[in-house]
Amino acid sequence: MSTTPHNAEAPGVPAYAPPVAARELIERLASQIDSAQSEIGETRAILKDAVERLMPAFTALRNSESATTAPGLDAADLPRAARAIRASGQAFSALQFQDISDQLLAHAQIRLVSLLAEVNGIAAALTTDFSAPNEFAELMQKVIAANCNLASLDNSLVKPVGKTHLGTGDMEFF
Amino acid sequence: MKTILTVDDSPSIRQMLAYVLSSNGYHVIEAGDGEEGLMLAKEHQADLILTDQNMPKMDGIGLIKALRGLPAYKNVPIMMLTTESSPALKQQGRDAGATGWMVKPFDPEKLLEMLKKILP
Repeated sequence: MSTTPHNAEAPGVPAYAPPVAARELIERLASQIDSAQSEIGETRAILKDAVERLMPAFTALRNSESATTAPGLDAADLPRAARAIRASGQAFSALQFQDISDQLLAHAQIRLVSLLAEVNGIAAALTTDFSAPNEFAELMQKVIAANCNLASLDNSLVKPVGKTHLGTGDMEFF
Repeated sequence: MKTILTVDDSPSIRQMLAYVLSSNGYHVIEAGDGEEGLMLAKEHQADLILTDQNMPKMDGIGLIKALRGLPAYKNVPIMMLTTESSPALKQQGRDAGATGWMVKPFDPEKLLEMLKKILP
């Protein structure tokens, strides 16, 4: 690789080292981002599986209460159903964690996929020969574009969940 | 028996809602997204609709706008049941014609109390 005006100032460092080191770093970053994205995907799958295994218990509960939904609804059964609902209220609230956490994880995945695309774009630009007149300018254009894309990512994503705990939410009428 | 249409892309949330509502004497119809919700609302006249906001195909606010355009749903209560709680989004829901807003996770008892107020 040729000496370039951008890396020639570092004394004792081969002229090709900075671009090669930068490219290696960016490839490592890309690899880590890709792994994190995959791990989040696996976490989502595990959570989904766990809740799907729990749901049959609720289906069984629902079936056991089905008599109360018959056309000739027995009013005497309603307090029993109400007690059952109260007893399982906390479990209902907590079980909604999968829906909430899945939305947060999906957003994290979108961020990582965007980040990975930008990092890969810069890695591709770093493979070029900087002795060519326009190569460095092209790289800088990609860096600037990546900066803009990542800066606008927050604007394009609606915050999925405004909660940090599983306490039950507020209710209001308009 | 009052009919409630629940619209949510999470099967577990739909199942929990169905359990809570049906065991308290309501007839429940379930839809997995806004488009399906709209289709089922046209097929069955619901007395109340509970809808999530973030869903594929059509979101909750889009569903409310579509339903409010139907004569049969001009005055039917539509409650948002969502993890979203931003004031801006609530305002959008109000403008679209939502009756109220409930933030997940829902408490079954509070949900039933709310239904008693809206569907006496």
